[in-house]
Order: sequence, then structure tokens, then C-alpha cells
Amino acid sequence: MTMMSASIHANTLEKPQRDWVLVALWATLALVALIWVAPFVFIVFTSLKSNAAVMSSSAFAPPVDPKFANYSGAWDRGRFNTTFFNSVIITAIKVPLGLFISAMAAYALAKIEFAGRKMLLLAILFGTMIPFQVMLAPLFTLVNGLHLIDTYPGVILPYLAFGIPYQVFILQSFFRGIPKELSEAARIDGASHFVIFRRIFLPVSLPVLAALLILDFVSTWNEFAMALVLLQDRDMWTLPLGLSAFQGQFSRDYGQLNAAIVMTVLPAAIVYLIFQRYFVSGLTSGAVKG
Amino acid sequence: MSTVQIRDVRKSYGAHPVLHGVDIDIADGEFVILVGPSGCGKSTLLRMVAGLESITGGTISIDERVVNGLEPKDRDIAMVFQNYALYPQMTVAQNMGFALELAGARKEEIKRKVDHAAGILGLEPLLQRKPAQLSGGQRQRVAMGRAIVRDPKVFLFDEPLSNLDAKLRVKMRAEIKALHQRLKTTIVYVTHDQIEAMTMADKIVVMQGGHIEQIGTPLELYDHPKNVFVAGFLGSPAMNFLDGVIIGEDGSFLELGGAGRVPLANGYRNADGKSVIVGVRPEDIGIAEANGIPAEVIVVEPTGSETHLAVRLGGQEIIVVLRSRVSLAPGEQVHLSFEGARFHVFDKETQERLQR
Repeated sequence: MTMMSASIHANTLEKPQRDWVLVALWATLALVALIWVAPFVFIVFTSLKSNAAVMSSSAFAPPVDPKFANYSGAWDRGRFNTTFFNSVIITAIKVPLGLFISAMAAYALAKIEFAGRKMLLLAILFGTMIPFQVMLAPLFTLVNGLHLIDTYPGVILPYLAFGIPYQVFILQSFFRGIPKELSEAARIDGASHFVIFRRIFLPVSLPVLAALLILDFVSTWNEFAMALVLLQDRDMWTLPLGLSAFQGQFSRDYGQLNAAIVMTVLPAAIVYLIFQRYFVSGLTSGAVKG
Repeated sequence: MSTVQIRDVRKSYGAHPVLHGVDIDIADGEFVILVGPSGCGKSTLLRMVAGLESITGGTISIDERVVNGLEPKDRDIAMVFQNYALYPQMTVAQNMGFALELAGARKEEIKRKVDHAAGILGLEPLLQRKPAQLSGGQRQRVAMGRAIVRDPKVFLFDEPLSNLDAKLRVKMRAEIKALHQRLKTTIVYVTHDQIEAMTMADKIVVMQGGHIEQIGTPLELYDHPKNVFVAGFLGSPAMNFLDGVIIGEDGSFLELGGAGRVPLANGYRNADGKSVIVGVRPEDIGIAEANGIPAEVIVVEPTGSETHLAVRLGGQEIIVVLRSRVSLAPGEQVHLSFEGARFHVFDKETQERLQR
């Protein structure tokens, strides 16, 4: 008895063998994280330094005397009252509306039999293959022709047009993975296609929708090129446009410039943090089912 | 009244036909099982009754009303799927009440009907759970509950027990049969498991390759299979088939696989010398002391209540089921007795049952 307990004791005390692959993996991950975090640390530190401190200290040295006034200064000088408001309006309309339209289109393409379905899907997929930069000039002509330059619809509609195809592509392959018996059971229960979509498919797809919401929010929030072409009036500018003007105007005030950058990326980071647990599960579930 | 008539129903996917004109009459309250191997068209037929597949030709009527063009919800049917198809984000109660909710029923009525169905199936403690929190058997019961709540004219079951383990399958089999006896609703049930068909059905429809091979009560099909396919499909262990020849002018003897001769109770006239396939159920064969046909034991499988023997008879292997325990070893010689055995004699060319 004593011998047995002694041997068990020895076993539990014995160190588990080190898994070197795991160690290497962790080390690589830490390195990658460091590379990605470094610019952010640099930006946050610089945003709290005076111009003199920026010039005299190392880029990664923490601010000795944090200058929070950089933030209020940047807010005023960058006209953030206007640009932040514009970005919020455009993103708040475009992201949910685009997702809703994409989800409905994806449902139809995945679950409703109709003539020309495959051709339609191909046409939409084709939309994902064209880089929007190629389309900037014709897009400007089109939006100008519709008298929508410097308006919210003038930028929201092109955003929708370029955002929807890849969302449809991802969602329709996810919807295809949902067992057909689920929609058949609902049809027998008396549900119309719209009810099946809203009551069965949308709740089941929440993780994927959350993932797409994050991706779309970040790309819409940060979009620069199209906004630059379609929004000429400074009162209609979005945050990235405001940020670009910053550099020329206050090129010597690095503290304020970086404070403006922090304020610009913060909403995207917050949205990501809120939805990130869905984001990860959405990516994996999409991979397995799609 | 809830009858189902299937008249000359055909189904093709493009140029590829999967059902070649099927006729079935299902009486009110009848429990009909469509059975056959994979790809025989049984599930397609059920889905056509449900309205989930279009009908290429023929008519399907429920209660003498042709339903060919009707949406599934307008056919007054309920279906239980193999993979349960429960709505994952809804509770058991919401799953069961979904159809009533869509039909615009009042909350109290939905609750009353859901509670009633839950009472029948013993689901009361589970009503607030989500499907992911249930076991396979419980999910199956919820799927049945969802069907019961609607009080349909016809229940359709598409291989509902295939995803359950063997023990649970036996239990659910009994539950479904008890449910039918209680509700007396017409049921059309699809399975590939002949034991399910034999134990539960009032009427079995055996299908193969998009055709109906035979329709009848379980024992009719078991005792008088119309052809070799039906004979071999029903029964476990399956019927033995031996090559044989009819002997004598009044056809009163069978030469069995070149191993010996057995008398036939009723002869086949004008069939002297005809090559046939002889079917014998394993339980119809016994072991004789001396006078039987000699055979060699290959495998002995005691199941406790029975002993299954695989024996070689004139170059062909057959199975014998004995109700008693025997001490035999592989390689031993035994004498098989066919006394009182029911022989099923089929034409070797057409594979159809030979008429006397």
C-alpha cells in the first residue's frame, strides 16, 4: 500500500515532458503578436507626447508627462465633430443594410430553386473579382450623373455594391451547409421563405453574421479611396479623409496626429472586441459547414 | 377519414426516372411502411406525398382530394425526419408550437396543445430545453411531438430511427406503434430496416428500383413472397435459396442443390425437370437423427435463445436456425430435416413465385 502510494506520488510529481513544437509555436505567436502590437504601442505613446518629447525620446519610450490635451486638440483641429458624425451615419446605415441584403440574396441563391440561379451566382461572384480602384473613374461619373456627389446615398450605395458580393458568397456557402430538412420541416409547418429566413436561418447564422459584421464594419469605417473621390465637400468627409488632411496641416505635431489616429481606430477595435468571440466561432463554423 | 391514394405516380430527375408508376391505396388509420434497399425510391415517394418533391406524373390524393399542386402546409400532413430537423435556437415547447404559431393560433391554445402532446410523449420536464441539450431519443420524441401537435390527417416518417443506437431503436419502435394505436392516425413510414417493417406495419410496401415488388400484411409477405427479392428481403436471418429441380410428372419432389431429394406437399404439375430456385426459411429446417440430407457444419453461432448454424449443402451454404441448444463443431456432418418445411419455389428465369 505504502509502496503504491509512493509510486503514485512520484508519478504526479514528475514533470510532464516538454513539447518543443508547442513551445516553438508559442514563441512564434508571441513574436507575431509583438510585431502587430508594436505600431499600436508606438501610436498610443506618441499620442501622449509633446512634439519636443517625440523628437527627443525613443519611439517606444513611454511618455514621461502624458499630454492628454493632444486628444482634445486633435478633435477640434481635425473637425472630428463633423467627420466622426459622417462616419457613424455611413457605417451605421451601410453595414446592417448590406448584411441584411446579402443574407436575403444568399438565402435565395442557396435554398430557392429558380431558373438562372447558377448564372446569377456567377455574376455576383464576378463582382468580387474586380478591384474597385479600376472602377473609380466610371463610378465617379455615375454618381455625379445621379447628382449624388457629396451626399450619404452617393457613398453608401457604392459601398453596398462593392461589399455585398463577397458577403453573398460567404453566406450562401454557409446556408448551403444548413441541412435542408430544417427548411423543409418549416415549410411543412407553414412557414414562407421569408419566415424560414428570418426565424430559422438568421438565428442559426448569428456567428457568421457577427464575423461579417466585424469585417464589414472595419473596412467601411476605414475606407479611404472611394470616399476621397465621392466626397469633395469637407463637411461630408469621413474620419479617414479628416485624418489625411491632418498630416499636411499639422505635419509637425506628431502628438496630435497620433491622437487622431487612436480616436479613429478605437471604434473599430471596440466593435471587434465586442463581437470577437462570435468572430472566431463564425470563421470555424463557416469552414466546417461551408 | 384520412385516406391516401397514390395512382401511377412517376418521378424523373431530368431523363433519369426514379419511380416508374406506383399505385398504393392507404386506408384510414392504416400504418403503412415503405421498405426497400437504398435508392429504391421510397423516400422520394414519401417526399412527394409531403409536397417536398414535385410529381412528374400520376396523382396523389389525401382524403380523395388531389394534392399534386398543393404546398406542403396545405396538405394537412406532418413529417418526422431522420435527422429530427429541430429548430436549434428554439426550446422544445417553441419547436412543438411553431406550426400553430404560424397558423395564428392563440397562445393559450398553443400551450394547451403542446402540453397535451408533451404529456403523451413524456416530454413535460424537457419543454424549456434546447435541442442541443437533449439525447437522440428525446430529440426523436420532440420531432414526433411537433407532428402530433398539428393533429394532421397523415403522419409521414422518413427513417426516423436510423440515427439511434440499437437498444433505443427497439424502444422507440414500440413507442411509435403504441402512439399509432392510441392516435389511430394514418401513418406512412419509410425504412430500409425490414425488422421495423415487420414489427410495426399494418401493411408493407416492398420497393426496388422504383417499382413496387409486393404489397401486403407483414405475414402475407413473409409467408407468400411474390418473388425472390421479397423473399430474400424480409426475414432475419434471410431466407436460404438453393438451386433445385422439380421431379416427377405431378411435380411432387424437389431435387435440392444436387444434395438430395425432398417431397413437396402440393406438387407442381407439368413441371418435371424444371430448374427452379427453392427458398427455405432458416427456422423451417431441422436436424434429423439419420434420414435427412447430409450437410457439413461450417459455423455455429449460439445466441442464447437460438442456435444459428451455417452449413454446406451440396456445394451451397445455407443458414439453419434451431430453437434448441446443440453441441456441434465446425467440420461435423449433420443430417438436415425438411419435414414440414414450407418451400418457396421460384422460376429460375423470371424469379417470380411458381404457380401450382
